[in-house]
This record gives sequence, structure tokens and C-alpha cells, in this order.
Amino acid sequence: MSNINGKVYAMNAVTPMKPWKTWILRTIFFVLGHVKPLQNDLINLSFIEFARWVVVPRRSFPFLGNGQSKEELNYDYLLFFSNFNGTWNQYIDAFSAVLSKGLNLIWRWSEKFPGSVPVTIFKEYIARVQFDTDYYYTAYPHATANDIKSAHIVQSSTDSLYLAAEEYTPEQFADAYLRFVLQVQAHLGETGEAPLAG
Amino acid sequence: MPNKNGSVYGLTILSPIIDDDKATPSHDLQIRDYLAHLSTREESPFARAPGTHLARLVVMDDVIYVGAPSCEEHLKSKYLIFESNCDGNLDTYLSGLASAIPDHLDAVWKHCVGYPGAANQQAFIDYMKACQLETTFFFAAVNDKTVTETLCALRTQTAVADFIAAHQGVDPATLQREFIEFVAHLRSQPLPRPGSMGPHRDIKTGGRNE
Repeated sequence: MSNINGKVYAMNAVTPMKPWKTWILRTIFFVLGHVKPLQNDLINLSFIEFARWVVVPRRSFPFLGNGQSKEELNYDYLLFFSNFNGTWNQYIDAFSAVLSKGLNLIWRWSEKFPGSVPVTIFKEYIARVQFDTDYYYTAYPHATANDIKSAHIVQSSTDSLYLAAEEYTPEQFADAYLRFVLQVQAHLGETGEAPLAG
Repeated sequence: MPNKNGSVYGLTILSPIIDDDKATPSHDLQIRDYLAHLSTREESPFARAPGTHLARLVVMDDVIYVGAPSCEEHLKSKYLIFESNCDGNLDTYLSGLASAIPDHLDAVWKHCVGYPGAANQQAFIDYMKACQLETTFFFAAVNDKTVTETLCALRTQTAVADFIAAHQGVDPATLQREFIEFVAHLRSQPLPRPGSMGPHRDIKTGGRNE
């Protein structure tokens, strides 16, 4: 069992919500999904590879018969899954500092949510509602979200230069190569094992 | 559709685990035991099947009581959560799993209620869809690249850094010829293996920050 694989941490949090409140939350997510500028803080945090929220209505837990008992719940549940780079503490600290309003907007509908500031009480709440991951796989454990974004910029610039390279004279190529280096130089960070925290 | 962000699919599956008093150890523990011995690197089943960026399996024993004044309640089943961030079309992804790693799928999901086995692909896909939950909001930092494209880009990033470092001050004609050879060679290499930590590279040490 491990929540960590290479440079990625898998977080699972499950919180109960009164059913009438889930419609407010669904509306908030609908707006968040359709007004892209509202996602800027989430994008700019830049250490989340993938994240999702799933609202499960109390009568919508999968029921397959075959002897399975149907759930009889009072609450709907909000499932949160995140794949982020860095440590648990860094993640919660950054969330609390940068996205406190957004987090409050999402989790204030969950029972007993204390608010994302002050961070100590927020961390206690997250720790209480978190499930450990039994198996965690990533196709690129050596890379962070920023590495991946940078790698695609390098790939695109390399492909462009390669396509045109045959057509250039050596002097033209040298100029194009210089522009290429300027484009990619900030995106050549090293991937590999994460440094160990002492 | 909230399950998709760009070309990436956010799959969320909750499979009820068989509740059998006579099973020893219980089915959820058997799942956990199997997963505990499964590789998470190049030998991972998900590395052998196409299209998985990141995936996790979690046994959810129960819901959590967060304290008064909320009311305490419990699930009647334990659930196996399968969360996957994968390429493109759901049917293609699930049939890819069923084709590439049927033994692993069966070893895990045989402990779940109503699992039909991976041998019958259509029954497997129907089962997974019956257990699927609609994602309410799905965020992807990079949402327009496949696993293969990302692995190739990461390899290119490392190789380009080395190429630039090795070609400082080289005359234009040599630089042009060697750049063309370098990219052609890179493209001819086999695809990087998913789940790998990449080639070992010594971390450069020294300098004023140490």
C-alpha cells in the first residue's frame, strides 16, 4: 500500500453532504467547468497532474443484485481524487494558501467542514476523511506536471526545427537553432528520482 | 461531458466487494494482499495495457463519520474504487485492458459482486459501465496528449538537453548535420516503457547551494 509512486501522490477523500446541498455543489462545478478563467488558480498551482470530484447521490451507489444489499444512506457523498507532486503537507498548505476561497466553495457543503483556513484544523479534517491508496500506478513516475508541460514544449520546438532543417543553409540553420535554444532553455529541467526530504 | 477533459478520460468505478462470512481471509483482504504484491513500475499490468496515464485502486471499507451533529451511518458493502486517467474512448480503453491483462483483472475483480470475467470482453465492458460513476468535475493539467506522446516528449526533453550541452560552439554545417541525425536517431528508437523511472542519470552535485 502506498499513496506515493515516484513524484506523484494519490489522495482520496470522501465527505458526506446533505442531499439538498449537492445541487448547489453541482451548479458550482458546472460554472467552474464552463468558465475557464475560474480554473486559473488550479492551473497555476501547477503541481496537480489530474484531479476530480465525483458526487455520489445516496441512492446511486452501484447495485448489482447477486446478493448485494442495497445501500440505505442519509447523505450523498463527495469523492475527491487528486494526483499531485510534492508532499501531503506541501499540497494542503498550497491549497489552503492559494485556493482557500475555491476550496471553501466546494467543501463547505460537506458535513463538519471547518474551512480551509486556519490550515491546522483543515489538515485534521482532510486526514480524517482520507483513504489510503492500495495500488498506485503512473506511466511516468519520474516526471512532475511541470516536467510534462515543459517536455511537450521541447518536443514541439524540436519537431518544428527538424522539419525545416533540411531546407536551411548552415548559416540559416545556426540562426534557427539559436532561436530554438532560446525557446527551450527554460524547459530542460532534469527528470528522475525525487530528492529525499531530510 | 465531465468524464472527459480534452482527449483524456476520467474513469471512476466503484465495484461492490463480495460480503461472505465464510471467506477467509475476507474478499477485501484478498484484494489488498494481491495488490500489495503487484509491481507499480514497468512490470505493472497497467504498463502492459495501452492508454493509462495514472490509475489507482482503493478498497473503501466504509464511509467516515465526521462527528456530531452529523449522523453516523455505514455502507452495507465494501467497494473497490478504480480511478483511471486514460486516453480517449472508454470502450477502447476497457477492451485494451481486457485483452492485455485479463489474468490480473480477474485476480482482483473476482472478489467483486457480479464480475463476469475478462474473457468475454463485452460482458466485462458492460460490468465496468454498470459500476461507473459520472465524474462531476475533472481537471487535467495536460489534456491533449496520449501516454505515448508524453513518454516520447520526456525522452526528447532529456536528449535535447544533452545535445545542446554537447554542441556549444560547433560550426553551423556540423551543427545542422548532427541535429538532423540526432532527431532521426531519436525517432528510430523504440518507444519508452511506461512506468519506468527513465534512464539513470547521476545528479550533478557541488556548487554554492550545497
